[in-house]
Order: sequence, then structure tokens, then C-alpha cells
Amino acid sequence: MDQQQYQQIEDQITPPTPYVKNVLKAFLIGGLVCTIGHAFTYFYIIFFNFTETTVGNPTAATMVFIAALLTGLGIYRKIAQVAGAGTAVPVTGFSNAVVSAAIEGKTEGFVLGVGSNMFKMAGSVILFGVASAFFVALIKLILVTMGVVEW
Amino acid sequence: MKKMVVAIFLIPVFLIGCNQEQTIEVKDSNEEQSETVKEVIRNSDEIYTGNAIFIEDQLLVAVQAKPWLDYKKRKIEKKLQKEVEEQFPDLEVLVSADYKLYWETQKLLDEGDEQKVSEEVEKLKKLAKEET
Repeated sequence: MDQQQYQQIEDQITPPTPYVKNVLKAFLIGGLVCTIGHAFTYFYIIFFNFTETTVGNPTAATMVFIAALLTGLGIYRKIAQVAGAGTAVPVTGFSNAVVSAAIEGKTEGFVLGVGSNMFKMAGSVILFGVASAFFVALIKLILVTMGVVEW
Repeated sequence: MKKMVVAIFLIPVFLIGCNQEQTIEVKDSNEEQSETVKEVIRNSDEIYTGNAIFIEDQLLVAVQAKPWLDYKKRKIEKKLQKEVEEQFPDLEVLVSADYKLYWETQKLLDEGDEQKVSEEVEKLKKLAKEET
């Protein structure tokens, strides 16, 4: 049996990935996460002195806190198993990446374990986030200087 | 499963059917002024609801843009600000499409104490300037 034959057999045996179902699940649960976030947005606007421009910070902080709590309790993993990208894409996924890495490194001690592992995943998120923000701002600056759009 | 998909697709239809009428409320003692500002708001079709508060030499207009047009509310704000300022050149005008201002002005409409309204409007103006 050569490689090609093996590949053929493998393709036959592997069950097909339910793309549509996965996308639908991710959409619904991701949407639910965002709906909860929006509920917090309105909560902060109505009961505290936040406007639509300033409300983003406390909302993100609350969502991150809740996701961190759920990760610690082991509930977030179960939700993520069903939802996939639906729980990874919102800011809660970032929180999950930080907290789960911190928990994982706990056995190796606080400095070399928790401290160095915490941003293993999140570090790349921060790096590429900052880098892409820089390029987006650069493109916008060029467009504004050319007079295509306004700030 | 099929039923659920149908239900999900129908949700926007139900939501769109809600309310097409503009509701504009004004707090003022001067009939003429309030009619003018109502007319200005009514002329912009991107807005579905709005409140205007006249207090001393201040005018606070809080509007809400239609859901599909919410992404360009900064532009709507600017446009309306210009139009309102043209009508009331001797007043200090602030037009905002922010939900916070709309919510607070809704409460101020029934407030009787002038002093309190003035203080509140001052506070809201400060709040609207905050960036972070």
C-alpha cells in the first residue's frame, strides 16, 4: 500500500465534518455571548454615568471577569466544546486563553509557571492586535490625508 | 430543526414591523420654539425618536437613529447640529445620538424643578464630551 492508497482509505473512513451545523452553533452561541455583552452595555448606560462612547471599557471588563470565573470553574470548556469559534472570537475567548494557561502553569510555581505561561497564547493576540491596529490607523491616516474619508 | 430555522428567519420581519412613526417630545414653555425644533427633527428621516430640552440659554437635543443607520450616527448628529444651530443662533445647542443622553432626557421631560433640569443638562453636556 502506497501513500496514495492510504490517503484514499483515510478519506473514506473519516466521518464528514458537519460544517453547516458547526457554523450555526458558533453563530447562535457567539450571538448569545454578544447579547449578554449588550445587556451589560445598557445596564451601565442606564444605571451609571457611561455614554455609548465610554461604555466599552466596563462592559469588556465584566465579560472578561465572567469568562475568567467560568474558566476557573470548568464550565467554559464545556460551552466551548459545543460552540467552538462562538466562544473563541469574542473577548471572552481571550480571557479564557489567559486564565487556562495560568491554571496550567500553576504546578511549575508562580514565577516560572503562572507568570511565564499566562501570556503564551494571549501574547500573540496582543502582538498581532497592536500590529494590525497600527496598520489600520496608517491606512486611515493616508485616506484622510488624501481626502477620501473624514476622521 | 426546520421549524427553528424558519423561526430564526422570521425574527427580523417581526422586529421591522414594530413602529414607523416618529415620536418627538419637547420640554419648553415657548410653543413656537418647540414647534420649530420638532419640525427640524421631523425633516431628517434617519431619526425615529427624539427629545429636546430648552432650559435657560441651553438646548439639548437627544435623538435615536434608526437601527440600520446607527453606524453613521456621528454624521447624522453633525448634520442635525448644523440645522438646529441655524434655527437657534442665540442658544447653546448640543445634538447627540447617544443612548445615555436620550435615556436621561426622557426622565427630564417630566421634571418640574427648573434648577434640577439645568444642573442635569450641564452634567450631560460634560458627559457627552468624554472620550474614554
